Amino acid sequence: MALVEDVKTLIEGALPGAKVDVFDEGGGNHLRVDVTASQFEGLSRIDQHRLVKNAVRERSDTGELHSLSVKTSVPE
Amino acid sequence: MEPTLKQRVKQLIAENRVLLLMKGTPEAPACGNSMRAVAAIEPYGVEYAALDVLPALEPLREATGEIADWRTFPQLYINGELVGGADIVEEMNESGELAELLGAEQPEPPAMSAKEELKADDPQQSPPIQIERS
Repeated sequence: MALVEDVKTLIEGALPGAKVDVFDEGGGNHLRVDVTASQFEGLSRIDQHRLVKNAVRERSDTGELHSLSVKTSVPE
Repeated sequence: MEPTLKQRVKQLIAENRVLLLMKGTPEAPACGNSMRAVAAIEPYGVEYAALDVLPALEPLREATGEIADWRTFPQLYINGELVGGADIVEEMNESGELAELLGAEQPEPPAMSAKEELKADDPQQSPPIQIERS
Protein backbone atom coordinates (compact mmCIF):
# COMPACT_ATOMS: atom_id res chain seq x y z
CA MET A 1 0.00 0.00 0.00
CA ALA A 2 1.29 3.45 -0.78
CA LEU A 3 2.45 5.24 2.33
CA VAL A 4 -0.09 8.03 1.82
CA GLU A 5 -3.02 5.59 2.12
CA ASP A 6 -1.29 3.65 4.86
CA VAL A 7 -0.85 6.78 6.99
CA LYS A 8 -4.46 7.81 6.39
CA THR A 9 -5.67 4.37 7.48
CA LEU A 10 -3.50 4.38 10.62
CA ILE A 11 -4.69 7.82 11.73
CA GLU A 12 -8.33 7.00 11.00
CA GLY A 13 -7.88 3.81 13.00
CA ALA A 14 -6.50 5.69 15.99
CA LEU A 15 -9.07 8.49 15.77
CA PRO A 16 -12.36 6.98 14.62
CA GLY A 17 -14.57 9.46 12.80
CA ALA A 18 -11.71 11.87 12.10
CA LYS A 19 -11.41 13.67 8.80
CA VAL A 20 -7.91 12.91 7.54
CA ASP A 21 -6.30 14.41 4.44
CA VAL A 22 -2.79 13.26 3.59
CA PHE A 23 -0.62 15.06 1.06
CA ASP A 24 2.66 13.96 -0.48
CA GLU A 25 5.15 16.77 0.01
CA GLY A 26 7.90 14.96 -1.84
CA GLY A 27 9.22 11.53 -2.66
CA GLY A 28 6.24 9.71 -1.20
CA ASN A 29 7.81 9.73 2.29
CA HIS A 30 7.59 13.41 3.24
CA LEU A 31 3.94 13.77 4.05
CA ARG A 32 1.65 16.45 5.38
CA VAL A 33 -1.56 15.64 7.13
CA ASP A 34 -4.58 17.72 8.07
CA VAL A 35 -6.64 16.05 10.77
CA THR A 36 -9.98 17.24 12.09
CA ALA A 37 -11.14 15.15 15.02
CA SER A 38 -13.59 15.54 17.88
CA GLN A 39 -11.05 13.67 20.03
CA PHE A 40 -8.91 16.83 19.98
CA GLU A 41 -11.51 18.77 21.95
CA GLY A 42 -9.97 20.16 25.11
CA LEU A 43 -6.45 18.97 24.30
CA SER A 44 -3.41 21.20 23.98
CA ARG A 45 -1.91 21.46 20.51
CA ILE A 46 1.02 19.30 21.50
CA ASP A 47 -1.28 16.56 22.80
CA GLN A 48 -3.27 16.73 19.57
CA HIS A 49 -0.05 16.25 17.63
CA ARG A 50 0.96 13.39 19.94
CA LEU A 51 -2.24 11.51 19.07
CA VAL A 52 -1.53 11.85 15.35
CA LYS A 53 2.18 11.14 15.53
CA ASN A 54 1.78 8.15 17.83
CA ALA A 55 -0.73 6.67 15.38
CA VAL A 56 1.98 6.45 12.72
CA ARG A 57 4.81 5.75 15.15
CA GLU A 58 5.82 2.46 13.54
CA ARG A 59 6.22 4.09 10.14
CA SER A 60 8.26 7.01 11.42
CA ASP A 61 10.42 4.90 13.74
CA THR A 62 11.61 2.83 10.81
CA GLY A 63 12.30 5.92 8.73
CA GLU A 64 9.90 4.64 6.09
CA LEU A 65 7.94 7.80 6.80
CA HIS A 66 10.72 10.36 6.77
CA SER A 67 8.73 13.36 7.89
CA LEU A 68 5.16 14.15 8.75
CA SER A 69 3.95 17.69 8.99
CA VAL A 70 0.82 17.84 11.12
CA LYS A 71 -2.04 20.30 11.29
CA THR A 72 -4.85 19.56 13.69
CA SER A 73 -8.25 21.07 14.26
CA VAL A 74 -11.43 20.41 16.17
CA PRO A 75 -14.63 20.10 14.09
CA GLU A 76 -16.83 23.22 14.02
CA MET B 1 27.44 4.67 38.06
CA GLU B 2 27.39 5.80 34.42
CA PRO B 3 24.22 7.81 33.80
CA THR B 4 21.89 6.35 31.23
CA LEU B 5 21.16 8.20 28.00
CA LYS B 6 17.70 9.00 29.30
CA GLN B 7 19.17 10.57 32.44
CA ARG B 8 21.61 12.58 30.35
CA VAL B 9 18.86 13.90 28.12
CA LYS B 10 16.77 14.82 31.17
CA GLN B 11 19.79 16.64 32.52
CA LEU B 12 20.27 18.55 29.26
CA ILE B 13 16.62 19.56 29.33
CA ALA B 14 16.95 20.75 32.91
CA GLU B 15 20.23 22.59 32.42
CA ASN B 16 19.40 24.45 29.21
CA ARG B 17 16.56 26.95 29.30
CA VAL B 18 16.23 26.57 25.54
CA LEU B 19 17.27 23.25 24.06
CA LEU B 20 16.83 22.06 20.50
CA LEU B 21 17.24 18.39 19.71
CA MET B 22 17.78 18.31 15.98
CA LYS B 23 19.16 16.40 13.02
CA GLY B 24 22.47 18.06 12.18
CA THR B 25 23.64 21.36 13.64
CA PRO B 26 22.19 24.88 13.51
CA GLU B 27 24.89 25.73 10.94
CA ALA B 28 24.17 22.64 8.87
CA PRO B 29 20.72 21.18 9.57
CA ALA B 30 20.45 17.68 8.12
CA CYS B 31 16.71 17.75 7.61
CA GLY B 32 14.15 20.27 6.44
CA ASN B 33 12.15 20.21 9.66
CA SER B 34 15.21 20.78 11.82
CA MET B 35 16.05 23.70 9.53
CA ARG B 36 12.54 25.10 10.05
CA ALA B 37 12.95 24.95 13.81
CA VAL B 38 16.35 26.68 13.72
CA ALA B 39 14.98 29.34 11.38
CA ALA B 40 12.10 30.00 13.77
CA ILE B 41 14.15 30.47 16.93
CA GLU B 42 17.38 31.96 15.58
CA PRO B 43 16.00 35.48 14.86
CA TYR B 44 15.11 35.94 18.54
CA GLY B 45 18.80 36.04 19.33
CA VAL B 46 18.37 34.06 22.54
CA GLU B 47 21.03 31.66 23.68
CA TYR B 48 20.11 28.07 23.03
CA ALA B 49 21.76 24.69 23.15
CA ALA B 50 21.54 22.34 20.21
CA LEU B 51 22.07 18.60 20.27
CA ASP B 52 22.64 16.70 17.05
CA VAL B 53 20.64 13.49 17.45
CA LEU B 54 21.98 11.72 14.38
CA PRO B 55 24.93 9.98 16.11
CA ALA B 56 22.47 8.18 18.39
CA LEU B 57 19.14 8.52 16.61
CA GLU B 58 17.40 5.34 17.75
CA PRO B 59 18.44 5.50 21.43
CA LEU B 60 17.44 9.16 21.55
CA ARG B 61 14.08 8.34 19.98
CA GLU B 62 13.49 5.85 22.80
CA ALA B 63 14.74 8.26 25.47
CA THR B 64 12.61 11.20 24.35
CA GLY B 65 9.65 8.88 23.82
CA GLU B 66 9.86 8.00 27.51
CA ILE B 67 10.62 11.52 28.71
CA ALA B 68 8.20 13.54 26.59
CA ASP B 69 6.09 11.08 24.58
CA TRP B 70 7.66 12.46 21.39
CA ARG B 71 9.84 10.36 19.12
CA THR B 72 10.58 12.53 16.11
CA PHE B 73 13.04 15.36 15.67
CA PRO B 74 13.39 18.30 15.95
CA GLN B 75 12.16 18.83 19.50
CA LEU B 76 12.26 22.23 21.15
CA TYR B 77 12.34 22.38 24.93
CA ILE B 78 11.87 25.66 26.79
CA ASN B 79 12.06 25.88 30.58
CA GLY B 80 12.18 22.11 30.87
CA GLU B 81 9.04 21.50 28.82
CA LEU B 82 8.66 20.11 25.32
CA VAL B 83 7.16 22.85 23.17
CA GLY B 84 6.83 20.70 20.06
CA GLY B 85 8.28 19.85 16.68
CA ALA B 86 8.72 22.08 13.65
CA ASP B 87 5.00 22.56 12.96
CA ILE B 88 4.11 23.69 16.47
CA VAL B 89 7.23 25.86 16.77
CA GLU B 90 6.35 27.62 13.52
CA GLU B 91 2.73 28.10 14.52
CA MET B 92 3.75 29.50 17.90
CA ASN B 93 6.30 31.75 16.22
CA GLU B 94 3.61 33.24 14.02
CA SER B 95 1.11 33.61 16.87
CA GLY B 96 3.57 35.34 19.20
CA GLU B 97 3.45 32.50 21.75
CA LEU B 98 7.06 31.61 21.03
CA ALA B 99 8.22 35.15 21.81
CA GLU B 100 6.38 34.93 25.10
CA LEU B 101 7.89 31.57 26.02
CA LEU B 102 11.37 32.71 25.08
CA GLY B 103 10.86 35.96 26.96
CA ALA B 104 12.11 37.82 23.90
CA GLU B 105 10.81 40.44 21.53
CA GLN B 106 9.16 39.21 18.38
CA PRO B 107 11.80 39.88 15.72
CA GLU B 108 10.94 42.46 13.07
CA PRO B 109 10.17 41.46 10.44
CA PRO B 110 8.59 38.33 11.99
CA ALA B 111 10.93 35.35 12.04
CA MET B 112 11.22 33.90 8.59
CA SER B 113 11.69 30.28 7.66
CA ALA B 114 14.21 31.11 4.95
CA LYS B 115 17.62 29.54 5.30
CA GLU B 116 19.41 32.76 4.40
CA GLU B 117 18.18 34.23 7.66
CA LEU B 118 20.61 31.98 9.51
CA LYS B 119 23.96 33.31 10.54
CA ALA B 120 26.63 30.69 10.95
CA ASP B 121 28.69 32.82 13.30
CA ASP B 122 25.91 34.06 15.54
CA PRO B 123 27.76 34.92 18.76
CA GLN B 124 24.65 34.35 20.86
CA GLN B 125 24.59 30.71 20.18
CA SER B 126 26.16 28.10 22.39
CA PRO B 127 28.23 25.43 20.67
CA PRO B 128 26.44 22.26 19.63
CA ILE B 129 26.52 19.47 22.20
CA GLN B 130 27.43 15.97 21.17
CA ILE B 131 26.33 12.77 22.86
CA GLU B 132 28.48 9.80 21.96
CA ARG B 133 26.75 6.53 21.25
CA SER B 134 27.45 4.31 24.25
